[in-house]
Amino acid sequence: MSVPDYMQCAEDHQTVLVVVQPMGIVPEDQFFRIYKRISSVSQVSIRDSQRVLFIRYRHHYPPENNEWGDFQTHRKVVGLISVTSCNTAKEWPQTSDRFHGQKEVFGSTLYDSRLLVFGLQGEVAEQQRTDVAFYPSYDDCPDVEKRVEDFVESIFIVLESKRLDRATDKSGDKLQLLCVPFEKKDFVGLDTDSRHYKKRCQGRMRKHVGDLCLQAGMLQDALVHYHMAVELLRSVNDFLWLGAALEGLCSASVIFHYPGGTSGKSGARKPGVSSAADAGKRHRPGAQEVLIDPGALTTNAISADTSTEIGRAKNCLSQEDIIEKYKEAISNYGKYKSAGVIELEACIKAVRVLAIQKRAMEASEFLQNAVYINLGQLSEEEKIQRYSVLSELYELIGFHRKSAFFKRVAAMQCVAPTIPEPGWKACYKLLLETLPGYSLSLDPKDFSKGTHRGWAAVQLRLLHELVYASRRMGNPGLSVRHLSFLLQTMLDFLSDQEKKEVTQSLENYTSKCPGGMEVISLPDGLKLPPVPFTKLPIVRSVSLLNLPASLRPHKVKGLLGQGMSSASPFIYSPITMHSRGDERSKKIGEYLHVSKMSIYSSSVDFESLPAALSLPAESGLYPVTLVGVPRTAGNITINGYHTSVFGVSSDCLLEGLVGVKSSGCMVEVVPSLPRLQLCTSLPRSAHLSSEDLSTSVSLQLFNGETQQLTITLENIGTEMLNTLELTSKTLSTKEKLFGEFLTWDLQDALSHLPLKSGQSVSIPVNISAKLDFSGQENLLHDLNDDGISVTGLPVSSPLRQVLKPRAENKPVGTDASKNEFNHVKTLEAVLTFKYSGGAGEVEGYYRELSLGVRVDVEPSVFFTRVSTLPATSTRQCHLLLDVFNSTEHELTLSAKNNQDLVLHASECQRMAIQVDKFDFDSIPVMDHDALRLATVRQQEEKRQQVQGGLINSTLDIHWTIISFTKGSCPDKTVP
Amino acid sequence: MAVCIAVIAKENYPLYIRSVPTQGELKFHYTVHTSLDVVEEKISGVGKALADQRELYLGLLYPTEDYKVYGYMTNSKVKFVIVVDSSNTSLRDNEIRSMFRKLHNSFTDVMCNPFYNPGDPIQSKAFDSIVSTMMVQAF
Repeated sequence: MSVPDYMQCAEDHQTVLVVVQPMGIVPEDQFFRIYKRISSVSQVSIRDSQRVLFIRYRHHYPPENNEWGDFQTHRKVVGLISVTSCNTAKEWPQTSDRFHGQKEVFGSTLYDSRLLVFGLQGEVAEQQRTDVAFYPSYDDCPDVEKRVEDFVESIFIVLESKRLDRATDKSGDKLQLLCVPFEKKDFVGLDTDSRHYKKRCQGRMRKHVGDLCLQAGMLQDALVHYHMAVELLRSVNDFLWLGAALEGLCSASVIFHYPGGTSGKSGARKPGVSSAADAGKRHRPGAQEVLIDPGALTTNAISADTSTEIGRAKNCLSQEDIIEKYKEAISNYGKYKSAGVIELEACIKAVRVLAIQKRAMEASEFLQNAVYINLGQLSEEEKIQRYSVLSELYELIGFHRKSAFFKRVAAMQCVAPTIPEPGWKACYKLLLETLPGYSLSLDPKDFSKGTHRGWAAVQLRLLHELVYASRRMGNPGLSVRHLSFLLQTMLDFLSDQEKKEVTQSLENYTSKCPGGMEVISLPDGLKLPPVPFTKLPIVRSVSLLNLPASLRPHKVKGLLGQGMSSASPFIYSPITMHSRGDERSKKIGEYLHVSKMSIYSSSVDFESLPAALSLPAESGLYPVTLVGVPRTAGNITINGYHTSVFGVSSDCLLEGLVGVKSSGCMVEVVPSLPRLQLCTSLPRSAHLSSEDLSTSVSLQLFNGETQQLTITLENIGTEMLNTLELTSKTLSTKEKLFGEFLTWDLQDALSHLPLKSGQSVSIPVNISAKLDFSGQENLLHDLNDDGISVTGLPVSSPLRQVLKPRAENKPVGTDASKNEFNHVKTLEAVLTFKYSGGAGEVEGYYRELSLGVRVDVEPSVFFTRVSTLPATSTRQCHLLLDVFNSTEHELTLSAKNNQDLVLHASECQRMAIQVDKFDFDSIPVMDHDALRLATVRQQEEKRQQVQGGLINSTLDIHWTIISFTKGSCPDKTVP
Repeated sequence: MAVCIAVIAKENYPLYIRSVPTQGELKFHYTVHTSLDVVEEKISGVGKALADQRELYLGLLYPTEDYKVYGYMTNSKVKFVIVVDSSNTSLRDNEIRSMFRKLHNSFTDVMCNPFYNPGDPIQSKAFDSIVSTMMVQAF
């Protein structure tokens, strides 16, 4: 006997074995449908008696196991049911012959047999035979169960007669010696007349009768017979059979104590008839020592009347004793190498009993023993089965780790190198079953909180095996998922070298099958949740960035009836949104390439623009800006980010991240607005005085110079531009500014509105710099050592000056020799375009675009001295001006009615201009505006301005740097 | 002497495991890991009332063909496991007990270190050297 039945349990001893086999060609599914219906008849109450017969069905049973039927009768095939298809009457004789052939296989032990013929109709099918049943088809066989019940009853009759026959066997003086197959040759030539031999025969027969009683539902009788068998066999040192008798005793007791069965199959059994619910409590330890009537034992035969030996419940073993007897039985079996299977099965049965008794420690000892039972050469399949069963039994007694260990061994056995066709699928399936034993779940969420739980070394190993098995079974998606999981959860336990290997193989796998975020469902229903790489890289903080000022939408204040008052002042535009994360690469030992990283949002209409980054190993925090564009107005929740690392894309939710406080943020998206792009005729300046400026220009002007700046606005958005406003603001400066710094004419541009997408308008802006450089004492000092002062000037400055600018490159500070001219003044202003249009305008939003203008003003022409000379006409006078050219360029100076004066660089000349005299008092200085000025000083300044303007128009002094274009500037002087 | 000594946290993950280098380390991981089943069984077997007076020494957890596995559990449910060679019959139960006691004392010292976070792997050199004295000397 070489094939152990790992499913066996103690109560199987009371069953009779029926083999159900297909004959000829029977479709497998049909056969198993019939088989299922047959095996539903697992216990049959026998008419006219209180007894129940239990049946164990097998569709496959090795005949060599059948040979052990005398040893333990439940191993004996007593019934055969053949299922066959037969379509024509012609086939019938052949079918009938084959049925007889099949009976031959188990012929020696069969009590009865049945043949179920499907498909046959007509004459042949009409015949009434007890051993053959005809059915027209597999679907039309309503009385199969009834047939089987009849069959079982007929088996019972045979069984009962055998039992009675054996129990009362007085035929002749000699009892037959029952023996197991391997014993047969040992008894050749043995003295059959010896007392020892006779006792042995008696003992074995007692044991056999016990078995039969147990099967026939006479539990108490069985117990008595077993007790007697034990006594007899012990006295003749027939250890193998003593073991069997002891085991029979155990089985009967187990059946008595645990009517529910020990196999763990729920509801498999109805409570046995013989068992009293409280019987277990009544029994006493040492019940096996119950008095057995010695008179019942005759030397030659066994007394028929076991009822005289009323031990009844007392014969039954206590729960403690069951285990003791099992131990003894197993140690007796252990003495025979050929009884390995029996020993193994006994161990398993004992473990099941112990599991019910919740005695895990003792059960583990039995199992430990079972592990070491050598069954000789096992096939790989048997090994797998053996390890699987060990695993199940360990599970049964609550040893989950041990169970996982054996399951893993079984899994490895599936793919042992000796197997020609490794069963990677089976291996993988078994490996999955070991997960709970290693407290490993495949859901990364279980690992996101707190420290790692579980035994990393063994978990790591298991994960590696899962990866390998799934790869070998040709499911790269699975191996990517497992490998990702390994990397994500076991990162802290991997050495640098291992990290490198894991990431490399992950990249290898993903090159064929990229990893994603979908849940992988296995055929057996297990779902593998996605594994987002939240540790590769680690995100430490996330913050939302506002849009650049030029794109930020503003709410029109005071716009009535828009009902948007709830909107906060910080509203994000529909165009672009920035979210900024600080990233840190984990110690991967090499560069971490994040090929794609983008915002993950729950909103559908959100297009996020991926960014790629490469983080060096052990890098510190590294800021990353992610950009996304919403496509519709409304609220958008940003709750994570999306990465693609090693070919695995993952959606990482912020709320799941360790160390990140934020769990996402809400962004309000307003309806779309047009978008303007601004370009100017002047080169852009890198210098931005304020972050709010979208762009800025800077230029250099000589004092008094005017330059035109053309601003081109292009609508690069998709919406129509409807309104445009332009305002300017001069940034606070200490310099006194004469005249308007920036002037423009918007009329032309406005006439082009509405501006469609892609169109552009130009707006000319004049920049004129008129500053007072007179305050620069040192400069003047350089020029005029004699400290000329113009008396009677109403301003505090000692001198007046005229400035005429023209700019080019920046001479200031580039050369030490020019230091004395380093008197550049800076003017700054901001031009702000407010514009709106499209759906956003309806909602009351607008955008601002601002242009910074920065002008470095250099001194140009100074009047170092001003005086007058009377002219020939009394109405006129000569105005004498000492003009100093502070530039490096040659310039010409022209005035009204006067010839041009050429001034070389840093040259001072006097020019005389004949002008009409005029009287300031005649000027209507105080207009209404001026009257409103609050202070006297302001009035004075105003007056001066007006005077200056008058003088300018009178004199009209212009200067031109010859190498450049012309500039003009006002003079401001006194008569 | 021992071939493998392990300290296992309350939550059943290893704080410290050291084995003789001549044999596969993973094997001992499995041996010690599966021994936890027995530890749990032994503890659950003791009634709650008795838990306070429970002896820390758990005795032989299970014998395998090659090794014997002994267990010990502190009151804070930290487990010590010592694996000895089965062939080493000279080792008495008392010696195993004293090994555990030494291990426990040294472990207490580790826990007293203000820079040690309970639950972290033990990296103490003092503990390491105590373990070394109990291990089979690798030659």
